[in-house]
Amino acid sequence: MKNKLPALRAARGLTQGDLADALNVSRQTVNAIETERYDPSLPLAFAIAKFFKCRIEDIFSVK
Amino acid sequence: MNAAAAPVKYAGRDYIIEVVIASALYVGAAAIRHWLIARATPLGLAVPAALVPSLPVWGLLWVVWRYYRRIDEFEKIRFLETLAISFGVGSCLLVSYAFLADAGVSQLGITWAWPTLAVTWGLAGAIMHFVRR
Repeated sequence: MKNKLPALRAARGLTQGDLADALNVSRQTVNAIETERYDPSLPLAFAIAKFFKCRIEDIFSVK
Repeated sequence: MNAAAAPVKYAGRDYIIEVVIASALYVGAAAIRHWLIARATPLGLAVPAALVPSLPVWGLLWVVWRYYRRIDEFEKIRFLETLAISFGVGSCLLVSYAFLADAGVSQLGITWAWPTLAVTWGLAGAIMHFVRR
């Protein structure tokens, strides 16, 4: 899947570590999602969407 | 504290500390076992004395389980991949050695099995870490 995570994170001035702390995942996990090496589970996708106050489909889309 | 609710960011650090402690206990327990057996422990105590090093091994299993419960979903996948690879490589090493031992070429004790698996696991983890970068 494609995602807009790097842009959303950058727009809020957050580092990958900041976002990882907020989601209680590792920085490596955030990096893997941003570089599209890993597609998050539905619960984590919901947590990301909730954090950025938007819908899942606003962040993730099929390639 | 519920391990699953603990911050993920400290899981790796805590895991390394706990593995080092468990490994140190294993080395100490192995020395105590050797000392007890060398003193011709009475038959009733021979079995508990011989099993002393198994206690920290069970402790290590608990450490691994605790770490697995604390890490996030992506880290869990990586952890299980590494475990699977090290299990495969470790099994091949042990079977190869079993053939050598069966032919009388070498006669190391079975107590070397656990350190061998631990080293294999560590190497697989290190290799996979660099492969995934």
